[in-house]
Amino acid sequence: MLSSLLITCLLGALLSLAIKESLVKFWALFVSSLTLIIVFAGLFWFDFSRAESFQFVESYAVIKELGVSLHLGVDGFSYVMLILTALTSFASILWSFSDYQVSKRQKEYYFWLLLTELGLIGVFSSLDLIVFYVFYELTLIPMFFVIGIWGYSKRVYSATKFFIYIFVSSLFLLLGITALASYHAFQRGYYSFSYLELMNLRLEPGFELFVFLLFLIAFAVKTPLVPFHTWLPDAHGDAPTAGSVLLAAVLLKMGTYALLRFNIMLFPQVSTALVPVMVLWGILSIVFSAWFTLSQTNVKRFVAYSSISHMGFVISAMFMLNSVGIKASITEMFAHGLTSAGFFMMAGLIYSRLNTFDLSTSKGSLIKMPAFAILVGMIAFSSMGLPGGSSFWGKFLTILAARQYSTNLAILVLLAAFFSAIYVLYLVKNLYLDSKREDNLKDVSGSTLYSMIIMSAPAIMVGLLPFLLFLFYDSYSEYVISYLLKLSGVR
Amino acid sequence: MQEFITIEIPDLLLLMPELIVLFTGFLIFTLDLAFRRVSHIVGISLSSAGYIASIMALLLIYGKRGETLYGLYVRDGLSTTFQLLLVFLTLALLVFFYPYFKKRLSLYPEFYYILNFSLVGAMFLVSSYNLIVLYVALEAVSIGFYILTALLRGDFQSKEGALKYLILGGLSIALASYGAGFMYLHSGSLDLRNVFLYGQSDALILGLVFLMVGFAIKLGAVPFHFWLPDAYQGAPTPITAFMASVGKVAFFVPILRMMPLIQGEILREWTLAIATVSAITMIYANLVALNQTDIKRLLAYSSIANTGYVLAGISTASKTGLKAAGFFLIAYAITSFVSFIVVALLERFNDFKTEIEAFLGLRNISPAYASVLAISIISLLGVPPTVGFVAKALIFLSLAESKLWLLATVMIVATGISAGYYLKLLSKMFMFEPKSSMNVKPSAFERLTLSIFGLLLVLLGILPIFLFEPVSKSVEAILSR
Repeated sequence: MLSSLLITCLLGALLSLAIKESLVKFWALFVSSLTLIIVFAGLFWFDFSRAESFQFVESYAVIKELGVSLHLGVDGFSYVMLILTALTSFASILWSFSDYQVSKRQKEYYFWLLLTELGLIGVFSSLDLIVFYVFYELTLIPMFFVIGIWGYSKRVYSATKFFIYIFVSSLFLLLGITALASYHAFQRGYYSFSYLELMNLRLEPGFELFVFLLFLIAFAVKTPLVPFHTWLPDAHGDAPTAGSVLLAAVLLKMGTYALLRFNIMLFPQVSTALVPVMVLWGILSIVFSAWFTLSQTNVKRFVAYSSISHMGFVISAMFMLNSVGIKASITEMFAHGLTSAGFFMMAGLIYSRLNTFDLSTSKGSLIKMPAFAILVGMIAFSSMGLPGGSSFWGKFLTILAARQYSTNLAILVLLAAFFSAIYVLYLVKNLYLDSKREDNLKDVSGSTLYSMIIMSAPAIMVGLLPFLLFLFYDSYSEYVISYLLKLSGVR
Repeated sequence: MQEFITIEIPDLLLLMPELIVLFTGFLIFTLDLAFRRVSHIVGISLSSAGYIASIMALLLIYGKRGETLYGLYVRDGLSTTFQLLLVFLTLALLVFFYPYFKKRLSLYPEFYYILNFSLVGAMFLVSSYNLIVLYVALEAVSIGFYILTALLRGDFQSKEGALKYLILGGLSIALASYGAGFMYLHSGSLDLRNVFLYGQSDALILGLVFLMVGFAIKLGAVPFHFWLPDAYQGAPTPITAFMASVGKVAFFVPILRMMPLIQGEILREWTLAIATVSAITMIYANLVALNQTDIKRLLAYSSIANTGYVLAGISTASKTGLKAAGFFLIAYAITSFVSFIVVALLERFNDFKTEIEAFLGLRNISPAYASVLAISIISLLGVPPTVGFVAKALIFLSLAESKLWLLATVMIVATGISAGYYLKLLSKMFMFEPKSSMNVKPSAFERLTLSIFGLLLVLLGILPIFLFEPVSKSVEAILSR
């Protein structure tokens, strides 16, 4: 199943260069819907009773001598991410149908979008670290071009900044991966990049910390955590809407996904020792970025900063290292994927109506577009963490997880959640209320409407029926904790 | 190490590829003298026939090992693999050079046989342990390069570059031969395999230092690089492509060959020296490249930086390190060849200057050139899915294996700096509208060759085994000796 997904995306991307300029968008939509169908069809064969183990495993040797192989497989956690990827890619391609910003050079545009999807699917399904790295980097070039060619005002600057930040930080990851593989060669006598084999490695504490930090540099920039976040507002702010949607909804999740999958599982001792640091770092990230958010006057940068804040929740919940926390962080990842995508579509629509991202100019604009206002409302309230919205479960479970440590931590998380509610309310207030608008704005319709529904309907659905999502990673989060317990005797 | 002199009948089969190229060179030379000016059709067809025959000979004796000419000449996996690359790249050069020189009104048939003689030198350089043979081969390659650099006779820069190259190249060869002399003094043998057998002495250290400085000048490692940007910029661009690919490989392989022989105490200092040179080279070249406005100078500095990366792999002195260096060398040779060739093809068009500004909106002018150049730049930068990424990852693997964390960090920083100018080039090509409307139409044959090279860069990145396997085997061969 996984290789067929990759092949679909690859062939789809390559063929999109050969198709007529005016038809290529339909082709891209067809390819992305095909991947969506494959992902959902795969659910029939996915064994939920052992969702914590890897399924659909395939393996092809790439360089035998160095132990590199195209080793694919998904467990419940990565399956959730696959669903998010397929959904977001489909929605962002659908959105691009009526986006004026991307109406030039369509062939290349859809080529890059499909290539991004290829990279994302690869990231979430590879079990070999070097192959993971290849796919991780594979999303870089397409995004660089998408931002740089079809972006807004400072596009080239933002694209370059994005590329350099991610590229340089991920070189540390490459060094870390190769360090692990050569450590494996020292201990076992042969190289291996396989995740499952590297998990069995017992590292010396100093070395473990060193490699953990190398991995962390890459993923802290990608996620991003606060002092390393400065690429994000620029990249998200200047990318075309579909690019921002993909960036916020899925590309950021590559960082958090990898932290949970690799940092915690491969370096259990260091992760356990660094629990307070990481949790506090996450909370500081929430608070600071919430603060930065409130001073933004550009809708898109506003949403971008709010993304950083949400990522803080994911990180702090994840590093609480109890099963509730892990569940919370995955839920929050999924929820944020949906809501941030919705928010960026909102920003894109406001731009297409008012030709500006300025928050004060767009005051009260939503009143003129009732259907749009309802959709944005759904997204806003589920992002804020109101019961019934998807983010509620993320935040609620985070507080529960924090409660297992201490009440003080729980109160801290609660306060942080409060902070993140403030900016959403501020945005809602500005867009819905105080309006003396005279102009008539055309309401959301057509492909724009459908793509927004695709992102907001699951957000509400997850909020109301969270067990549908928990089904995927209930056993996974238990498994992670029991694995850590077995290894290091943590509480 | 013969006890008494025996008459050895040279095993010509081992030497066949070189002999074919040499014979082709002499044939064209003779024809040129006999008929005053040999026509270009004859030159191209004879040369390419010779190269193809040579490649076939190489494939025929692939896997064969042996020595001949009293051990002066060694045929092993390393020499066969690298010779295949050298001949292949030279053959590809024939496709591109004619239109360039025709446009610059500087067509001389000397080109063909000098190219042949240079190639023979390079082929000997990758397949000998003997210091004298290395010296002669080094001279053969270099003299060819001096002449080829000055081949644009009306052009001032071309002559300037050639003269600088001549002076510093002469110095480098003098130093290398001086080093060889010291090595002989130390061991009483000119064969590198024997030189290191007799422990350590001051003479050996002096010899190694001089030899290294000599080769460092040839490779353009900082601080011995000053001739390189001028020569690369001044030379006709197809020749630059030739020097950056064939030249670099040929000058590097003797060092690769030497590494497993150096043993004992001296090894630590030797690797430390190489690591230092490598670190300085990477950082300096990438920093200077950031400021270049001429594409050929920029690529020249990038070539210096890449020398640094290969040296980093060599400095580990481990099996993985040498394999990584070998792989990197081949990957770099192909990649830089492609990038210089695209520049050469673009230079044919009237309005085109070699400045970076000329690349504004290249994608709109010629998607074919722009995308092939983009692939080669992405490969130079080391981003998957290109062969450049695999090469860099292998270097990192070897550095991690030898626990050279500091050097690895320097390499990360250097690669990060290099992203600055590579991305500038990429964004100039793809993200801006063109200033002028050049009329650029590559011929069908060029398009075919270019797209083969572009595909090669990507395919070798996805399926690196086809390159890694031969490199790995050939490095094992020199290690097991």
